[in-house]
Amino acid sequence: MGISKKARKYTDKHEWISVENGIGTVGISNFAQEALGDVVYCSLPEVGTKLNKQDEFGALESVKAASELYSPLTGEVTEINIALADNPGLVNKSCYNDGWLIKMTVDSPSELDELMNEDAYEKYIKSIED
Amino acid sequence: MKNMVIRASLKNWFQLFYVHKFPAAGFKTTADGAIILQSVSNDIYQNLAVEDWIHDNINLENMQVLFLWRNLSTVVIGRHQNPWQECNLKMMRQKNIKLARRRSGGGTVYHDLGNINLTFFTSKKKYERMENLKLVVKALKCLRPQLDVHATDRCDLLLNRNFKISGSAAKLGRTAYHHCTLLCSADRFLLSSVLKSPYKGIKSNATPSVPASVKNLFEEDPTLTCQIVMDAIAAEYAIYHQIDHHVTLINPADETVFPGINNKTKELQTWEWIYGKTPKFSISTCFNMVYKHSFLEVKVDMDVKHGRIEVCNINLPEEWLPPALCGELEKNLIGSKFCPSETTALASALLRSCPQDYEVHRRWNLFCENMTTTLM
Repeated sequence: MGISKKARKYTDKHEWISVENGIGTVGISNFAQEALGDVVYCSLPEVGTKLNKQDEFGALESVKAASELYSPLTGEVTEINIALADNPGLVNKSCYNDGWLIKMTVDSPSELDELMNEDAYEKYIKSIED
Repeated sequence: MKNMVIRASLKNWFQLFYVHKFPAAGFKTTADGAIILQSVSNDIYQNLAVEDWIHDNINLENMQVLFLWRNLSTVVIGRHQNPWQECNLKMMRQKNIKLARRRSGGGTVYHDLGNINLTFFTSKKKYERMENLKLVVKALKCLRPQLDVHATDRCDLLLNRNFKISGSAAKLGRTAYHHCTLLCSADRFLLSSVLKSPYKGIKSNATPSVPASVKNLFEEDPTLTCQIVMDAIAAEYAIYHQIDHHVTLINPADETVFPGINNKTKELQTWEWIYGKTPKFSISTCFNMVYKHSFLEVKVDMDVKHGRIEVCNINLPEEWLPPALCGELEKNLIGSKFCPSETTALASALLRSCPQDYEVHRRWNLFCENMTTTLM
């Protein structure tokens, strides 16, 4: 089952979050995974970690660099994608589905309104790509 | 015109570029200024802290920084590496060589005063490692036109096509930095020994290093000292950014220029950061002990997470040591740091609770010493 495109919101740091039944799934966008190059290691937080919006929560290492990950919302980590331990390339191959990073609670739903929807994110990418 | 950075004191200069502050009204910040800093410290943790501080505090949208630094003997591992896989920790302890974990990715390197470190700070948009390396190559060729140095697409610098003189790593966060080493006159033989791990049986998904043959610039040309090379790179950087060739010396311990930096230095020195950040790994190995003409085999299986022992199974020859004692050791090791001094302390404490049997004590000490030496 894919995560519907409409449900995703984006941060200016190219993370996406998709909320269902109060739990947000977080990943990085296609723009981000392309820019990053082949991911060789995913450093993710422990389940139970409490994050504030914009907190650093981990890093993705690719041949290009170690890239920090920033929490899109305030909440608590409920699950991490353990498939990434042996297969970090999933982030490149399937950034919106199998390459998800963490799941977290959504403590302040209003924070979602501060994020970009699909159209706004597309415009944002175009503006920085020049 | 570029190069209108007013030479106020460094502290005032930094304040103009703080992330959360705007330039003082009336002060005209021009586009694309740049500055060259050189550390007066040879301490790896202080110098890494400067990188953290600049990353966290300086707005690099219109500013670039070149940071030059050198360290006393240290092994530096990449952010997601396993030190037990990468280097000879036992040798390092014996020779007083420090271990540091940096925040950028990449592989393990050896620093001493014969190695130059260069950090190029830019905005994320201007992040371009090859441009930086081309600048270094240009600087070296300006110094010695006959030098055969080029950058590979792995972002290594090779001397004479075959020998690595520089490796790169990078971090992308709020802003970007690319740093690289440059071997001028480092102890190449110590480098090779210390970057060879003696530890066997480790299974880990930590990022591995790619070994390479290395050489020093001074072996090619004895007049290429660190100082001469640093000056040449600074000069080239200044030309490129159209600024004065002025290198500002900085003291990474100075809280008035770098408020909050000493906390960053401390954090980089913690066991939790250096060892505890190691990705989860398992060890499955055997070692042999010789005792009174007997040849004994010990099998050890451990899981280590956050640098602490999570699972511990030790198989000794039957009845060579009291099984209850071994069982207690296995139990007590769980949750303890994967570290020779902690293991030795735990083992000694257990022994004290044991009846005064000289033979048992002797065997126990032999076993523990072998175990810590072989594994840790």
